[in-house]
Amino acid sequence: MIKAGAKARGQQSSKPCPSTFRPDLYPDAHWSAYNLLIMSAIKIRGLKKSYRVYRKKEGLLASITGLFQRDYREVDAVKGIDLDVEQGEFVAFLGPNGAGKTTTLKLLSGVISPTGGAASVLGHTPWLRENEYRRRFALVMGQKNQLWWDLPAQESFRLHQKIYRIDSSEFQRTRDELVDLLEVGQLLGQPVRELSLGERMKMELTAALLHSPDVLFLDEPTIGLDVIAQHNIQKFLKHYQAMRKITILLTSHYMKDVAALCRRVVIIAHGEIVYDGSLAGIVDRFSSHKVLTLHFAEERMPSDLARYGEVLEIVEPKAKLRVDRSSIAKVLSSVLANHAVEDVSVEDPPLEEVIADMFALTAKNQADKVAAESLTPSP
Amino acid sequence: MHHPSYLGVFLTFARNSLIRDMTFRANFLIEGISSVSWMIMNLGFYTLVYRFTPSIADWDKYEFFVFISTTMFVNSLVQAFFMPNAQELSELVRTGGLDFALLKPIDTQFLVSLQRVNWASLGNFFVALLLLAYAVPRIEGFELSPWHFLLYPLYIVLGVFILYSVMIALAATSIWLGRNQSLYDFWFYITNFSRYPMEIYEGTWGTPLRQLFTFVVPILVVINVPARIMAKPLVSDQVFLASFAMLATAISLLGSRWVFKQALLSYRSASS
Repeated sequence: MIKAGAKARGQQSSKPCPSTFRPDLYPDAHWSAYNLLIMSAIKIRGLKKSYRVYRKKEGLLASITGLFQRDYREVDAVKGIDLDVEQGEFVAFLGPNGAGKTTTLKLLSGVISPTGGAASVLGHTPWLRENEYRRRFALVMGQKNQLWWDLPAQESFRLHQKIYRIDSSEFQRTRDELVDLLEVGQLLGQPVRELSLGERMKMELTAALLHSPDVLFLDEPTIGLDVIAQHNIQKFLKHYQAMRKITILLTSHYMKDVAALCRRVVIIAHGEIVYDGSLAGIVDRFSSHKVLTLHFAEERMPSDLARYGEVLEIVEPKAKLRVDRSSIAKVLSSVLANHAVEDVSVEDPPLEEVIADMFALTAKNQADKVAAESLTPSP
Repeated sequence: MHHPSYLGVFLTFARNSLIRDMTFRANFLIEGISSVSWMIMNLGFYTLVYRFTPSIADWDKYEFFVFISTTMFVNSLVQAFFMPNAQELSELVRTGGLDFALLKPIDTQFLVSLQRVNWASLGNFFVALLLLAYAVPRIEGFELSPWHFLLYPLYIVLGVFILYSVMIALAATSIWLGRNQSLYDFWFYITNFSRYPMEIYEGTWGTPLRQLFTFVVPILVVINVPARIMAKPLVSDQVFLASFAMLATAISLLGSRWVFKQALLSYRSASS
């Protein structure tokens, strides 16, 4: 009796429960489909990277003692970040210099190994450097080039064809398509060292996309380019991403790149993610004020504008004020009640400014934290 | 999943290098001529020495010429295929260019070891062929056998592999050290040792030196083994050294691969 009951319960519990998936109960095909359904293209958990750097003191004597006894310092470039990026998303990574953006991209492309945490890109752990993974992504760095400097770009493309083993017809089709989109067909036979920076970047992009990667990491692809070249690269990236639905992580210092390309923005400062959301959301979240522009009736500019908010600019008959977000309605009604105003506008401060302020603030917080830590006596 | 065609990639490297070398024709010619004339001067020097002595450590003039041509074969191959890459590796580490090599779906050691071919260095290979063809028939009591055709090239290739292993392991240390420019110097010391018959290392200092550079860092077998196969009678006392050379090659290759992989694990990359 007892045995039978136990068996019955056992059978019941071995049935797949609808809420948890049991891959072992399903054939492979289902499992991979399931993977596609639930898995993000990029999944990062508690990712950490710290470097040990040699703290060099000034002067020759100190350099000589440094030969025997070195003073090392741990630098935390990435401090345990979490991030999920869905298949087909175009995400911007913003942050001041040294925030950890490039380090994160290098971790995700397996160039360096983390000190802690986990990451999975397309189901692979990047720093294992498996060929299967390396065939499916690309990294483009605006400050470095991978094309053979003295050779025409087409020779480097051919080398990529061999390394990625792309078959000839596929290779030709992809190359022609990219070269058409980027309008660099006539430059293929020219040595790379003779190309302009913008043209070279286009060739770098072509080389990186020849094997049709599913994930693309772009590290400041428009750095140093003029406005037109920047715009061309943006146009291309936008078109290519819309067409191929690949997942792209982009770091850039140019807000125009970000505004043109990405709906989602991740801000990283001092190795931590401080914001993850829409571009417009940054202003709501981090800007404490609005800019109020008043156009007064002729000769009626009041002298005591400062009581309404911080005066930014006065060019009669116009005045610009910085007003706290929370009191904007009150200020506005009071201004309109007391003065003859012909026109009014209320605007958010420019995005660049908000972000710059935010970076400055996080830098200050960080400096305070470091100062506080150095005050506490070490055990 | 298809693997990259290593031969196809290597041929593309060789082809691209040739296109590049041809772009700078004058440089190519000067490099070729200077390395060939350096070897010819060397040859002249030994011709002078042999006017004063019939043999050095049991190597007479024509046997020693075979030794020299063996040195030239090995050096030209190493300098053509591996030297520019080993040097480049230190630079790739310093500038962070190694990042790109790590992204490619292909063995990283293969990629960084062979991406450049210095065609100009192969000039000496042909000079060595001429010298060999001149010296071999002049060796007393020499009889050409099929074994020569099989073993001589084989042991030259093994010698190249040993030198490559030492070189790439040394270059890989620049991943740990951040910079290692002693490569050229080190290469010079090593080839200086290896380009003499091992019999000259005798006595209080010589014997331990010979043992060190035979059994610990096996660079003495690099030239000595193939040169003996060609210049000396094929007798049984060569068998020990020849078998050892095979073992040494295998251990060197495996050892250098291990060093390379360990070094890559601690690659830090340069900041952008």
